[in-house]
Amino acid sequence: MATVTNWIDHLSAKEVQGAIYPGVGSEGILVILLFIIWIGWHVISAKQENERHEKLARKRHGPNDWKSNVTDG
Amino acid sequence: MTDELGALTTIFTEFYYWITVVLMFLIHVGFCMYEVGASRYKHHQHTLMKNTMLIPLVTVTWFLFGWWIYWAFPTGPGLAPSIMNGSSALITDESTFSAKWYVPNSSLMAVNLGDHISGVFWAAFLLFSWTAASIVSGAVIERITTFAFGILAIAIGSVFWTIDAAWGWHFDGWMLKLLGYHDAYASGVIHACAGGFALGILAVLGPRIGKFTSSGEPRNIGPRNPWLVTVGLFLIYTGFWGFYAACNIPIFNLGPEYGMEGVTYFTATNIYVTPTTLSGITFNFLMSLSGGLLAGYVISKGDPFWTYSSGLAGVICASAGNDLYHPIQSLIIGMIGVVVAYKLHYWVERKFKIDDAVGAVAVHGYAGFAGLVICGFVLNGYPSSGYSVGAMWDGATYASINPLGMFIGALVMFVVLGFIPGWTIAKILHGMGKLRIPREVEIAGLDYEIMEAAREDEKSVASSTR
Repeated sequence: MATVTNWIDHLSAKEVQGAIYPGVGSEGILVILLFIIWIGWHVISAKQENERHEKLARKRHGPNDWKSNVTDG
Repeated sequence: MTDELGALTTIFTEFYYWITVVLMFLIHVGFCMYEVGASRYKHHQHTLMKNTMLIPLVTVTWFLFGWWIYWAFPTGPGLAPSIMNGSSALITDESTFSAKWYVPNSSLMAVNLGDHISGVFWAAFLLFSWTAASIVSGAVIERITTFAFGILAIAIGSVFWTIDAAWGWHFDGWMLKLLGYHDAYASGVIHACAGGFALGILAVLGPRIGKFTSSGEPRNIGPRNPWLVTVGLFLIYTGFWGFYAACNIPIFNLGPEYGMEGVTYFTATNIYVTPTTLSGITFNFLMSLSGGLLAGYVISKGDPFWTYSSGLAGVICASAGNDLYHPIQSLIIGMIGVVVAYKLHYWVERKFKIDDAVGAVAVHGYAGFAGLVICGFVLNGYPSSGYSVGAMWDGATYASINPLGMFIGALVMFVVLGFIPGWTIAKILHGMGKLRIPREVEIAGLDYEIMEAAREDEKSVASSTR
């Protein structure tokens, strides 16, 4: 996984390789992972939000009911 | 980097942009404070989280495709040939500034010893993207779903503002060539576009419950915490300094860049690679801010909410030409922008029943639009680029700045890339039933359950004796 194992060898090479992160060459897989995380977040958070709203909507609170929840610290 | 002077220039430029990114982070802090201060108590936490979550959403999508769009789309595609490869197609070839290097799996999109600029430049533009999305966030508070806002934030932050930046901000953009478009500090590229986008959403989303009487008269829902609004806007002003600096290239030798034989001329430039100075834009930033505050105080009769917002509107209106204006011109233009924004806000509110909760469409959209139009007159005849000077509609050369081109440019920003996409996406989300929160939730308050849980926690703590 390590791209660099010796800095002296790395920096004294005829052409210094710029990319020094682990797993050079695996960028495509990392991008696919990021895509899955991104879309997955939308799916999961949207589901959670829907559930929260449905639950709260069923209780039919009045416009000033929230005031009874104000804490005095 | 093997020679000392070259290394110094590179590291200075890298650090310069890094600092601008840190400063611009304050814009987002300011927007969060401002929105929470403007929202009602029962919606505070949801309002904050909505604006916070645009940070990761826009960042991830900016990494995946937003940055690529900026480098690929300057030609339209199909509207004017690139000065780099002579083609009107998407710029994805082997040229230096090709989008090819900015796909998410490129080795330049990571720690790379051969590239000290891509990451900080990517981040500077990303912070602009957050700003574009955050402008929209304020307008729609207290009734939009977080899901819908996330989609809309990605659309404006990683797609539409990016396209307009490629068209009207990139040194190779078709709007410079065909129209003579000039927008040095983003009156249109960020503000008019995001303002138009917000207006498009608001037209579909509708007003907050209680905003209008049954006869259609608007009611004032003022900020619940004016001090948070105040500090928020001061932080936005502060971050704006970073934004101005980020729109410049700190040091550039224009002689070889323009092909002038034997000429060496080092200067700071704006984003179009035409000369300006950090010193000059500092004059103009402060004078346009002052013009906005002066006009805002008078027109709103000392209302703090509008006076602070007007400072921002003043800067936004003058931003298109603040690389070249005289400071007094900047001040006057800032004042004009505030009058336009304030008057239009209330006219649109009454006429079309648009509930823009924080005045975002006015401060960013109308002031930005006005700033572009004014810039066309005040900078009429200046070259839009240093690379060449030509006629409008020519395409192969760069048109000079002119009123008609700037007016068309303002329409492209506000309507074509702002209002129409915002309205269309909001309409689709509305059709799916995902745009607006249920009526019962809006009445109860988005934070009802969080507050209820906090009360229970408080009760158990207060009654405990050990």
